Amino acid sequence: MTAQLRSELFKQRTTRTTLGLVLAMVVLVAAVILLHVVALPTQGLTGRQGQLKVLGLGTTFGMIFGSLLGALSITTEIRNGMIRPTLLAMPNRSRVVAAKVMACLIAGAALGLFSEAIAVGMGAAGLAARGIQIAPSVGDFAQLLVGGAAAAALWAAIGVGIGATLRNQVGAAISLVVWLLFIEMTVIGVAPAVGKFLPGASGGALAGAMLQETATYLLVPAVGALLMVAYAALAIGAGLVTTARRDIN
Amino acid sequence: MTFDLEPGTITGFLGPNGAGKSTTLRLLLGLVRPTSGDALVFGRRYAGLDQPARRVGAVLEASDFDPGRSGRNHLRALALAIDIDFGRVEEVLDIVDLGDAAHRRVKTYSLGMRQRLGLAGALLGDPELLLLDEPANGLDPEGVHWLRGLLRQFAKQGRTVLISSHVLAEVAQVVDAVLIIDRGRLVASREMTELTGGDRSLEDLYLELTAKERV
Repeated sequence: MTAQLRSELFKQRTTRTTLGLVLAMVVLVAAVILLHVVALPTQGLTGRQGQLKVLGLGTTFGMIFGSLLGALSITTEIRNGMIRPTLLAMPNRSRVVAAKVMACLIAGAALGLFSEAIAVGMGAAGLAARGIQIAPSVGDFAQLLVGGAAAAALWAAIGVGIGATLRNQVGAAISLVVWLLFIEMTVIGVAPAVGKFLPGASGGALAGAMLQETATYLLVPAVGALLMVAYAALAIGAGLVTTARRDIN
Repeated sequence: MTFDLEPGTITGFLGPNGAGKSTTLRLLLGLVRPTSGDALVFGRRYAGLDQPARRVGAVLEASDFDPGRSGRNHLRALALAIDIDFGRVEEVLDIVDLGDAAHRRVKTYSLGMRQRLGLAGALLGDPELLLLDEPANGLDPEGVHWLRGLLRQFAKQGRTVLISSHVLAEVAQVVDAVLIIDRGRLVASREMTELTGGDRSLEDLYLELTAKERV
């Protein structure tokens, strides 16, 4: 198991995909945070809630890119054929999926922490530059960083599960992004009392922040964490079943 | 279908396109699941072997790599998975003569270089049995000559090679025995010494066995 985990971590470090994801994430987070702190009226940026919405954007992007990292870790191998040597080296497919989940939990946490750190750093600097007092407490900032890392890690695990289930690289990536950016946002907008239980909102609950107007609907972090773990377990379970059954031609 | 491979020999696995050569190899390696029955190698399912990559090495497709990873890192990723040290990676790179290109991304490799990298991956675990699916595809005459030498040397060490092909001439010069399959069935198993007259009679046998049933 540790051998396979080492191999998966090494694969992540030695492919351009990872670097590309990190770069894209950095650019997007920086651009969106900049846009918000520069363009939003002072009114919307004063107060703890308003600022948390903006600072929490790092978690949203951490979850998106974490999920992509997870999905690509398996769908890319299926696409380029690397899955064959991988399975010849380790024919126990469950162990391969488990190693990918663990490697993506680690890498996803790093992505989430990095993303939220950029958001917090740039966001706070931007607010200070506009002379707006920073309202969230030290505890809020700590939760943003730790929760953001945990949310991205768990979404990376979900990504592995979805990737293993759908197997198609583009299909899995689009499904995850569409889910997080459109489906969840729509449900949360229409029915926040239901939407808050969805996996993206549960991840936001870990960080204590969410972009939507309905941030007040966020679950408490412990409930969000439990739900996230359950969602990840479901996705991984589906991925394990699919991977065990399918032929690799 | 059951066949024995003699240690120290190279066996050709022949049959028309679609005869089931690739599927047989994938069944043996546990990548494809049989609808009924079991596929065994060394008397066990591949996944049931203790450290299978140290017993069986296989190349199924010409380019099963992440194109963005270097040749060396591709092999290192596999070495980590089968718990073999990076020194062995350099050894197999030398064996397949890719040492100078190992730092380059696989994307920049020619088809022949990719074939050799695949072979290096199969040799990583220092296996007793090598299963190669159409390994000469895309190799130029020099590459085919090189591959032949490598396989002979491998067999000379008392190890076993099974090499599938639909091109008889490619195989006839290097194999000690042939298995011929057609429509998923083993239709002949011969030592090359039984086929007096060399290539000619292998071709006759092949055509006779694979053509008859298709009409």
